[in-house]
Amino acid sequence: MSKKLLGLTLLLIAVMVLPSIAIYPVQAQNAPSGKIVVWGWKAAMTDTMVASGVVDDFKAEYPDVEVEIVEYAPGDVYVNFPLALTAGETDPDVVLIESSHLSEIVALGGLLDLTEKVSPYIEQVNAYRWPDATLDGKIYAMPWDSGPVVMYYRRDVFEKAGLPTEPDQVGELVATWDGYLDVCRTIKEKTGLYCFAHNKANNYGRLYEMVLWEQGLGYYDADTGEITIDSEENIRTLEMLGQFWKEDLVSDNLEWTDPWYAEFASLDQPVATLIEASWMEIFLKSWIAPGTEGLWGVTRMPAGPYGGARAANDGGSTLVINGKTDNPDAAWAFIEFTLARRESQLKLFAISGFIPALETTYDDPLFQEPDPFFAGQATRKVYAEVVAEIPTATVYGPHYGEMNGAVSFAIQQYAAGMSAEEALTEAADEIRYGLE
Amino acid sequence: MAEHTVENIPAAPAKTGLLHEIMRNRWAYIFISPFFILFAIFQAFPVGYSVYISLFDWNGIGPMTYVGLKNYSFLLGPGGKAFQQSLQNGVILFVMYVPVMTLLAIVLAVLLNSKRVRGFRIYRTVLFMPYITSMIAAGITFQLLLQQDNGLFNVVLEELGGSPQAWLEDKWLARFSLCLLIVWGWLGYNMVIMLAGLQTIPHELTEAARIDGANAVQAFFHITIPLLRPVIVFSVILSTIGSFGLFNETQALFRSTRGAGPLRSTLTPLVYIYDQAFGRFRLGRAAAAGYIYFALIFVLTLIQLKYMGREEE
Repeated sequence: MSKKLLGLTLLLIAVMVLPSIAIYPVQAQNAPSGKIVVWGWKAAMTDTMVASGVVDDFKAEYPDVEVEIVEYAPGDVYVNFPLALTAGETDPDVVLIESSHLSEIVALGGLLDLTEKVSPYIEQVNAYRWPDATLDGKIYAMPWDSGPVVMYYRRDVFEKAGLPTEPDQVGELVATWDGYLDVCRTIKEKTGLYCFAHNKANNYGRLYEMVLWEQGLGYYDADTGEITIDSEENIRTLEMLGQFWKEDLVSDNLEWTDPWYAEFASLDQPVATLIEASWMEIFLKSWIAPGTEGLWGVTRMPAGPYGGARAANDGGSTLVINGKTDNPDAAWAFIEFTLARRESQLKLFAISGFIPALETTYDDPLFQEPDPFFAGQATRKVYAEVVAEIPTATVYGPHYGEMNGAVSFAIQQYAAGMSAEEALTEAADEIRYGLE
Repeated sequence: MAEHTVENIPAAPAKTGLLHEIMRNRWAYIFISPFFILFAIFQAFPVGYSVYISLFDWNGIGPMTYVGLKNYSFLLGPGGKAFQQSLQNGVILFVMYVPVMTLLAIVLAVLLNSKRVRGFRIYRTVLFMPYITSMIAAGITFQLLLQQDNGLFNVVLEELGGSPQAWLEDKWLARFSLCLLIVWGWLGYNMVIMLAGLQTIPHELTEAARIDGANAVQAFFHITIPLLRPVIVFSVILSTIGSFGLFNETQALFRSTRGAGPLRSTLTPLVYIYDQAFGRFRLGRAAAAGYIYFALIFVLTLIQLKYMGREEE
């Protein structure tokens, strides 16, 4: 073998070996790769997660993971995802689930156990969010945003009624439900306007559930599982809301219908207040009532008679992983990157206003920003205050759908003239028979 | 088919068992088999399997727990008020719209069938159009029309001096509104069935009656209706099944209560079953409800066939 040939051979070997040495350490990290399919609704996925750039950030950090986002309305997720689980499908890998439906999906079985994976973040997330994600001591979901409930009010209406308009003063007036009732009476008397919207015939229990929640009440006993739908506290709470109907202080508009939107957008005939979660803010601003900038204020909801806090939850969402996923590492990497990282959550928050469940974000200056839509009030500060105080309640749970259905019917019956006790007892019995 | 085989194979021996017969006609059976295979997989099997499921407590994924007839006793007992209400609603809705819709369908069909109407194809198309329109789209439109505050119905009503009605907020008005949507959507379909029936009735019969001195109304009731009876029975039976199986219409009009309507006034058996199966994941209970619902429809259909379907002596 000539020297020349030997040299060439050595060179060839070196060329072949070197790159593999160079690449080897990168592969050793065992970075997740492959494709994950994520299901969720447009407002959260496309308009928030993609639009905020968080998905692109994820792709930059995990270049080998391909993310496919499939848009489904929430209602379709809750039908199609269980069917996919039943069929043992490996897709979708990651699914967005509202807190209200989480326990039901967890109870179905078929989700990936995330107990170990979320353990570093347990203390960093709103404590009240974990029970819904937990079954038999195992955790199956990572919370995204929370739904701290506040009272939105129209400053112009309060002014017309001769009431104070600043958030602190209004907050004092509506410190209790009795105080709120007085405020509503004054508004009706002075302006002829309705205080809030509370539909009778097609009521589906949202407001009632928020009032139960702030008092730490709910549909069942957290320890014994006993049904509390017809408890003294629940009956009195419903009657307390019924008082507003009796005195004709509330409008009959059903949530998420045109007349309901019109009430918020109206300049001369608006409804005075709205008790709803913080995610309502973006809807009010962007498409329900964009023309009412500067007319709104935010304060705490009234306190219920049975204790708890002036803080409730409505909605909020989580990400879960399909137990049959063929790529659990990439799926978890996606969830951890988007929801457990402070920077990602802040980006999501900045674009959507969805309050992160991740408490490490709350010291960010974003929470102190004054908002012209609310006449310069720093509303997010209020949300962060509220979210820290939300009590644990038993409204959501493994049979939430059934309980909400029975209770909605009871509220409708009560509104139509039946006694609250009779209506709720009937609902409780229906649930008790059904769970036997 | 038998005639063919006899011709083709004249020397066939007499020992023709069923299997033998099938073998001889195997190509025919192979050609019609796709339907039966699909039928077996997607219809016959689920029908049988749901009897089995109805005896279990099952969420579709987890373990199945045998509970005997508990699902049935729950549905028919004090806990099954919602289901019982749904059966009752089926009957109420049937009474509310089927007679009106059937009569309207017959009258329109007779009008279109008479030679006097010009451009009857246009009318037929226009009347049939709602049937091919998406019921969800129509339902949402109706919901807007029926809205209490600015809905067209109330605007017109007020113009005429009436007071606005809560079309979708009251138990009976909600049912009425639902019936309105159904009649709008299904009238054309029923009319076309009637029209098809009418076209088999010879004109001479009516003409003869008219010559004998019967007026148009008499001819309608004594000639047309009796001869149309089998078609009417067919259409009424379909409507019966339809009124218990209402689904899309209720979903579009009463979204907040997932089709149940104010005070469960428009909760139909099918809405209940769907909700139990795909909303609550109680597949056993849903299957049991399906069987009770089937039994009821079956009995109602038999009764209708017996009392409406018999020929005049």
